[in-house]
Amino acid sequence: MPSALPVTPDEDRFTGQLSSRIGILQQGLRRISRSSTLADLGACSLEALRLTVPSMETGLGYRQKGRKAWEALGECSARGLTELRRASADAAVPNPATIGKRGGCLVQRLADDSSVGLFVRPHRGYSVTDLDLVTFRLFLQLFDGAYQEMAFRKNEKSLVFSLNHRILQLNSLIETGIEVSRLTENQSPHHLALIRAVSLVNASRGVVRVHSGKRLREEYVFPEGSPLRQTPGGAGRLESSFDFLDHSYTFVLYNKESRDGRGVFEETDQLLLDALARQVHASMENRYLHEQAIEKERIEKELNVATSIQAKILPDALPKIRGYGVAGVNIPSKSVGGDYYNCFELPDGTYALVVADVAGKGVPAALLVSSLHAYLRAFLEQAMPLRDLGSRLDKSLYRDSTDDKFVTAFIARLQPATGEIEYLNAGHNPAYLLRTDGSIEELPNGGPPLGILNLPIVFESKRITISKGEQLLIYTDGIPEAENEHEEFFETHHPLAEYFAAQKPASADAFIKKLIADVKQFAGSGPQSDDITAIYLRRI
Amino acid sequence: MDQEFSLTSQLRDRRLVITTSGYVNNTGGQAIATEFDRHFAQGVREVIINLAGSKVVNSVGMSFLLEILEKLQDAGGAMVFTNLDPAVDKMLTIMGIFSIAGKAATVDDAIKKLS
Repeated sequence: MPSALPVTPDEDRFTGQLSSRIGILQQGLRRISRSSTLADLGACSLEALRLTVPSMETGLGYRQKGRKAWEALGECSARGLTELRRASADAAVPNPATIGKRGGCLVQRLADDSSVGLFVRPHRGYSVTDLDLVTFRLFLQLFDGAYQEMAFRKNEKSLVFSLNHRILQLNSLIETGIEVSRLTENQSPHHLALIRAVSLVNASRGVVRVHSGKRLREEYVFPEGSPLRQTPGGAGRLESSFDFLDHSYTFVLYNKESRDGRGVFEETDQLLLDALARQVHASMENRYLHEQAIEKERIEKELNVATSIQAKILPDALPKIRGYGVAGVNIPSKSVGGDYYNCFELPDGTYALVVADVAGKGVPAALLVSSLHAYLRAFLEQAMPLRDLGSRLDKSLYRDSTDDKFVTAFIARLQPATGEIEYLNAGHNPAYLLRTDGSIEELPNGGPPLGILNLPIVFESKRITISKGEQLLIYTDGIPEAENEHEEFFETHHPLAEYFAAQKPASADAFIKKLIADVKQFAGSGPQSDDITAIYLRRI
Repeated sequence: MDQEFSLTSQLRDRRLVITTSGYVNNTGGQAIATEFDRHFAQGVREVIINLAGSKVVNSVGMSFLLEILEKLQDAGGAMVFTNLDPAVDKMLTIMGIFSIAGKAATVDDAIKKLS
């Protein structure tokens, strides 16, 4: 081990003075650690240096990486900046030491390849010593450390800000998804999504356009009233679109912003815009499907109510009429129509036979059938002539129904003992009376449908007599107009009057069963297009 | 919804109240910072940012607000945000603003908070 060399008094004094200066510098530089800007850092550093070497004029300059020009950092005279420019002209020398006894410059390259320059000029009567030179070099080292620390803090802040922004973007994406799904029918999810997209990707403005074919149906701009053009030098546009029903939705964002006013849209910006557009698309689909489900549920409920009303009104079984065979049928179609039939005994021993068809479907039609049923029973029991019954029924149903509702009806009153039938045909299909000689007698119109006009209509009733062996068929249009898979009517292939004449049923029930079987066979497996209703009467 | 950015300012007992309207983006943030700097240079150290007319703030606008906050912090000042839309409130919360700035329902409440 070599022995340590003895320290000379000069060296000892030098070390003592340097320690003292380091102490002053460090004390001053403590403030530097709190600096958040380069200007603060420069000002604080210079203040510390001037406390350390008060007998000199000092100045600091800063030169960004890749640039030639020096800018004053804190205070630096024009002469100082000129000296710095001259001193750093030789780029090959990283830290040119050009300070002599009359002063000069020192340049320190910083960690990010920018440079800090120190300009020194001793006051009159002073000259730069070796101690000063060491102090200046030390100062620049300390400045470099503080600069790195500041840059680190700045990067750290930037990173935290960037991470928080990513969290914000993800949070907003989730929140926007929830918000658009909660919007009411009158609110526009694509407006909300556009606003979120513009702000989350730092666009300066945006627009969402809704097209139906080539026709522009809607254009919403954010911020409202802003011009839709790219700013010169702006980094283009971002676009995302989707189709829903017969509309296309296109989102366009303009001009990515950054602190210096310009930016470039990134891949993540496109992903974010696409995700927001998808959320709007999903929300619209969900809303549409939800509305469809509600509508379906509403229709089903209405059909259930209508079915229930109809089931309560229509007879479970027809009465037995001495000397007659009578049978009836009602097969409602899926959508529940307004067909009605009935046969019941009246107080005077006669029997009412009624077949009616209410225009329309669902609950409104079922309710009108209910009214028809109530009025019919009430008026028929008063034993009034059918022409008067027709007028009263017409007025009552007009009062109870909406404009698009009316009733066609065939109403007959049978005197069982004599076979006399009084009938009223209000706009209904003609009933058929099959005579014993095989001829068919049509029982035609005696007035318009009931409840259609608010006029004092005179209905015409007629009388016929049904003899032994003769048959009467009253029906609704669901039988002649039953359709097969080729959309052809039953009537076209089997004219009902001829069909009726050709039957040789063993009983009333047998006729109805055969009629229904034939109609169903004709219609095949297709859906039943209308209610099927009929009453068959045969005098035995 | 938000129009193009605009702002007004007033001094109330040496407190600067900046009231904004519209999208706080680069333009908006810059305008707020410029207005702040003008008063900061004259010694104002307490600032109220009234965002009643701004329902949307982007992160560039936010960075200006953070910069103002840091300057105020370094100078021993304070800043309070008022009349925040829920979406903006959430944004400022996520960005950590309320760890260094205050929040109040109205400008009057903000003044009480600073007093």
